[in-house]
Amino acid sequence: MNNLYRTRYFLLLISVISIMLISFQSANAQDGEALYKANCTACHAVKEKVIGPALMGVSKRRSEDWLIKWIRNSQSLIKANDEYAIKIFNEYNKTVMTSFNLKDEEIKAILAYIKTEEAKPDATAAPVASGTTGAPVEEKPIWPWLLAAVVVLYLLSGILRRVQETLSTAVRQKQGIAEPAPTTNWKKNREWIRRNKKLIAVILILLTIVGSVKAWYSLQAIGISQGYNPDQPIAYSHQLHAGEMGISCIYCHSGAERGKVAGIPSANVCMNCHKYVKKGPVTGTEEIAKIYKALDYDPDKGTYGPNTKPIQWVRVHNLPDLAYFNHSQHVVVGQIACQTCHGPVQDSMTVAYQYSPLTMNWCITCHRETKVKMAGNGYYNDLHKKMMNSNVPDSMITVEKIGGLECARCHY
Amino acid sequence: MEKKYWKGVEELQNDAEFVRLKNNEFYENLPLDELVSKKAEETLTPRRDFLKFLGFGVAAASLAACEAPVRKSIPYLIRPEQITPGIANYYASTFSDGYDYASILVKTREGRPIKIEGNSLSSVTKGKVNARVQASVLSLYDNNRLQGPTMNGNPADWPAVDKAITDKLTAIAAKGGKIRILSSTVISPTTLKVIEDFSKKYPGTKHVQYDAVSFSAMIQSNKESFGVNGLPSYSFNKANIIVGFECDFLLNWISPVEYASQYAVTRKLDNGRKEMSKHYQFESALSLTGSNADFRTGIKPSQQLSYIMALHNAIAAKAGLAAAGSSSVDAKQLEKLAAELWTNKGKSLVVCGINNIAAQNLVNSINVMLDNYGNTIDVDTTCYLRKGNDADLSELLSEADKGEIGALFFYNCNPVYSLPAGAAFGNSIKRIELSVAFADRAEETASLCNFICPDHHPLESWSDAEPKKGFYSFGQPSISPLFNTRHMQESMLAWAGTPAAYHDYLSANWKNIAGAMSWDKLIQDGVYEMPAAASGKYPFAANLSSIAEEKSSGGMELVVYENAGMGNGNQANNPWLQELPDPVSKITWDNYLAISPRDAREKGWRQGNIVTIKTSSASIKAPVLIQPGQTPGTVSIALGYGRTKTGKTADSIGWNAYPLVSMRNAALTYSGAVDIQKTADEDYIFAATQSHHTMMGRAIVKETILSEYIKDPNAGNEAELFEVKAGKEILKKPVEEVTLWDEHELGNHHWGMSIDLNSCIGCGACVVACTAENNVPVVGKNEVMRSREMHWIRIDRYYSSDADPKEGEKGDIKLMEDPSDMPKVVFQPVMCQHCNHAPCETVCPVIATSHSSEGLNQMIYNRCVGTRYCANNCPYKVRRFNWFRYTDNPKFDYNMNNDLGKMVLNPDVVVRSRGVMEKCSMCVQRLQEGKLNAKKAGRTIKDGEINVACAQTCPTNAITFGDYNIPDSRLSQMWKPKERSYHLLGELNIQPNVFYQTKVRNIEEGNEA
Repeated sequence: MNNLYRTRYFLLLISVISIMLISFQSANAQDGEALYKANCTACHAVKEKVIGPALMGVSKRRSEDWLIKWIRNSQSLIKANDEYAIKIFNEYNKTVMTSFNLKDEEIKAILAYIKTEEAKPDATAAPVASGTTGAPVEEKPIWPWLLAAVVVLYLLSGILRRVQETLSTAVRQKQGIAEPAPTTNWKKNREWIRRNKKLIAVILILLTIVGSVKAWYSLQAIGISQGYNPDQPIAYSHQLHAGEMGISCIYCHSGAERGKVAGIPSANVCMNCHKYVKKGPVTGTEEIAKIYKALDYDPDKGTYGPNTKPIQWVRVHNLPDLAYFNHSQHVVVGQIACQTCHGPVQDSMTVAYQYSPLTMNWCITCHRETKVKMAGNGYYNDLHKKMMNSNVPDSMITVEKIGGLECARCHY
Repeated sequence: MEKKYWKGVEELQNDAEFVRLKNNEFYENLPLDELVSKKAEETLTPRRDFLKFLGFGVAAASLAACEAPVRKSIPYLIRPEQITPGIANYYASTFSDGYDYASILVKTREGRPIKIEGNSLSSVTKGKVNARVQASVLSLYDNNRLQGPTMNGNPADWPAVDKAITDKLTAIAAKGGKIRILSSTVISPTTLKVIEDFSKKYPGTKHVQYDAVSFSAMIQSNKESFGVNGLPSYSFNKANIIVGFECDFLLNWISPVEYASQYAVTRKLDNGRKEMSKHYQFESALSLTGSNADFRTGIKPSQQLSYIMALHNAIAAKAGLAAAGSSSVDAKQLEKLAAELWTNKGKSLVVCGINNIAAQNLVNSINVMLDNYGNTIDVDTTCYLRKGNDADLSELLSEADKGEIGALFFYNCNPVYSLPAGAAFGNSIKRIELSVAFADRAEETASLCNFICPDHHPLESWSDAEPKKGFYSFGQPSISPLFNTRHMQESMLAWAGTPAAYHDYLSANWKNIAGAMSWDKLIQDGVYEMPAAASGKYPFAANLSSIAEEKSSGGMELVVYENAGMGNGNQANNPWLQELPDPVSKITWDNYLAISPRDAREKGWRQGNIVTIKTSSASIKAPVLIQPGQTPGTVSIALGYGRTKTGKTADSIGWNAYPLVSMRNAALTYSGAVDIQKTADEDYIFAATQSHHTMMGRAIVKETILSEYIKDPNAGNEAELFEVKAGKEILKKPVEEVTLWDEHELGNHHWGMSIDLNSCIGCGACVVACTAENNVPVVGKNEVMRSREMHWIRIDRYYSSDADPKEGEKGDIKLMEDPSDMPKVVFQPVMCQHCNHAPCETVCPVIATSHSSEGLNQMIYNRCVGTRYCANNCPYKVRRFNWFRYTDNPKFDYNMNNDLGKMVLNPDVVVRSRGVMEKCSMCVQRLQEGKLNAKKAGRTIKDGEINVACAQTCPTNAITFGDYNIPDSRLSQMWKPKERSYHLLGELNIQPNVFYQTKVRNIEEGNEA
């Protein structure tokens, strides 16, 4: 019995210890993850070269002692003429690795985390598998069904008429009524028209009215490209960048706060992130590669070549030359949100399209309705006082009230 | 004193043609007769065809409108840090082409220079530039520029050119051959150092500088008088009495922008000032400076020396010094002037623009006697803007003639065109073993050279300049070189065997000079000025004893001069300058032989007659222009025209007058006896902006004289009273109280402009500045002849005379005796007056012109249907109609017809199309920009923060822009209707937002020398 107890006790102890050990080890790896993310990811990735080498298999390549020395102070190793250190330093364009004042255990934890990461399958493939941002399910068009229904109905009505004719012929034969003289369809139609003149007049008038209204609106729409959604050289998704990633509009369209045009960002702005983010969901990887191609950038080596080629975007918002529009006036002074004119860019716009009609009517309507934010802007001090004196309440001071509908505000 | 002003001889003489034209706004009839003639009836389009075409047209238009073109938007791959699309960058730089100099700011948009503005840090040009410097930005985009170096007339590449030139130079140097560098004045210290380096490598090198319009005698005279080799600096602002002898110092003399701004200081009567300088001018042709003078005396070139001698002797008598020679001029004539000069000792200035040592020695002596050295003249601060030496030039010409020169380089000069014996020199050039031009085009000289190694345009170059001793300015490129050109200095260094980038050479040189100042700071400021040295007094050492009067030949005498647009002709291919009217004659696209009305009457010549002008060495043909103010017995002709190889704009425009210059007493002489004969050639027609847009003889320029002004600041500007019927009574009311219209409600601003007629000298810088800022098209000579010039601002020039038409005899003006021979002249810039009760606004059927709450009269091009009612109803005739599309139209082959020239367009201003009206917008794009900047910063707009293009460039600050809503703005302070301020045609009470200040002349009643 004692033996049994002892054995049981022993087993229990072992299992507790092993559980503790296991949990300790995993805790170690978890610390490693945090440390790795805090310190290493600016320059390293596990499976690819970024600024520094890929870290996969690093523990196999070098001993733990060497790695600790290297991470603490890589330059001292180089000064000590360590062959491998010099080699790797030269290979990466003599970029000095930052020295990290980490404890041995912490470095070991990082290495442990790297080992666990090595084993995982390719992480970037995951979103594709999950299908969250996959291509939308293609909707089957409804018109073949409608067409089929029309055909069926037509056939059905034909059959029914035949049946009716057959039946009425049968009835006539039975009652001995003579067959009516056959009339041509043409005659029948004329007869019908003669009898329904009023109806036809009404229909014609209605058609004319509807047609005129349609024509009027379609003529009015000439030159208005609301919804214009041209193919772009890079299938850039605003929804992903501005929506999911939460990047501010101004980060890329920095001109909006400063000048007349918001501007399409130059490729060097893309590279601020895409130097590191080399892969993307869906078609992202190929699209990002287009930036590299434009800049003649080699993502493996991190070097720029001479054969650059500008990206030829298609302009979506085309104001006529006769209208002057200044973004900074609206964004900075008017404090109008980008979405007011550009629509739900971050929610549903992948490749940008023209959300607003950009007509003069549209501009003027907004100028009539929008209140001027005079408070706190020293420029308006005098005007504000003047308007207060003439009893114009703040809620009434629209852009129109301060001359915002005058021609030479936009046309010169 | 009633004065009658008129705009031309035609008006004065009341020509039938003139009367007809002045009653018509449009110079020519519209071809309506053709349309309603019988012939037209026969070709009437049947109704069905009409409907077919109409239907087809509508369908085509709709189809075309449906599909919007795909527009590309191509961002920078790597955006330069300082460039934000849509925001202008300004770079401090320097314009110096060996003729004009200005320290400038270059406004660039997306890397393209589009406008030149003055650099206010410079105490030489004080933030002002003249018409030619304003226009130089268009010369940058001249598509007649060379695209790369040429070797024997064929395009070549730089290494090949370098090798060929170096080989030849080495061979010439080995033979001990003469190497000469001929240039106009070089004011760049570093360029001189480069030339020095080159000379060290090739010891046979000599650098010869010459000026197309030479100041050699003046430099020589300063050497004789004071032992100083150079021109002095002048302070016109310190002078009470200014005397000019044949000296156009406001337009073209040494440093005109500097002098004009100094001169204006003495002419302004702001802030209740009651004194102004008195300006005497003695000259043959009516120059811009002469037209601004209080007293102007017409003298013949042969009398120049006599008059200077007479003045000298009159002053010498007061100073108790010996007279110099004896003058035939009646001493009494100059007694008053001499007395005034004597009482203003140390506060006067006598200047002389004659390239004659004797004359300059006399003037130096006068200024010494008047104690002006150390006061208004500073010999120690040498002015380097003109250094040409005629003796050196003569020597070089004779060397070339004898075939002694082995290699000849031409830098910033075009001697084949601009020397009297240019053609002969051209033949000599062909014989020279190595001839190299640094010209930007294959012009008259360069086309004869073995090599053309085009230098960058000044806006593409690194440069430095020293216009005056100790006053430096720097140039930085504001655009990458458009073509395969190279700094002249880099070429020279490469051939000297020490190739270097000029920027490195320049900055290294400046490290030595400026020491502690960082190069970046120098470039950012664009100027570096050393503390001015004390201006010393020098004993006068020249010998005046041998001076004798010149003998007149008794015949016609000629003066050649430089005008406002062309100057010496080096920017002739610039359409803006060609279309700039001559300030005095108002003629565009031509030069002419100006002749006095009296001579024209005596000889029976009409305007436009072609004459041959013969000197002892040359003969040219030119058309005659009757110019009031031209001294009888003299004629004058402008330089800079008659180019043959400068490009499509200027070739065969006008006549080259340089052959009429002569080399006399080892100095280039710009006057002399000529023989003039009328030819049988058909009359020539000028494109003038002079006889149209008349203001119908009404009193539009108000003026008074200083003594009256001191008594009553409102002199000459008495309020107009309007008769109003009140019941049976007739009341006289000020016009402002008689109106049909309601006041406009005003917003945050009330923009306006003031124009001081007392300081406007009429130079035309504003016209070119406006053209550059507002994309004003060039229309060419033929359209100007039809009164269709497009300038938004014009400068009206009126001649005055005391001869009044007698009551009821208005038609008999021409019976009066020679009234216009020596007229007084006034200049009046006129642009849209932005009337509060604008007549144009009320007649527009489509409301394409309307009033803003900021006091602007707005013109909306896309709304305009071209009825031209507004132009008809505008009393100032400032509206301009686009009769054609001036862009991409081969009929108007100027800068807007090629992609290169279009780079100068201001992207913030619409390019107008055919069929719309346009006019001065008061630079609304600048107002909007200024307001936006203030709004973004959350502050009010400071007075002077926003400026319009014309006011900004005006060398004399005659135009002031501002906001009436700011009570202490300069504009509000100036508006004093009880003093000098008045509205143009104030009797109409259309309440313009632009007002004028009366002109005050510093003359005495009844004495108008």
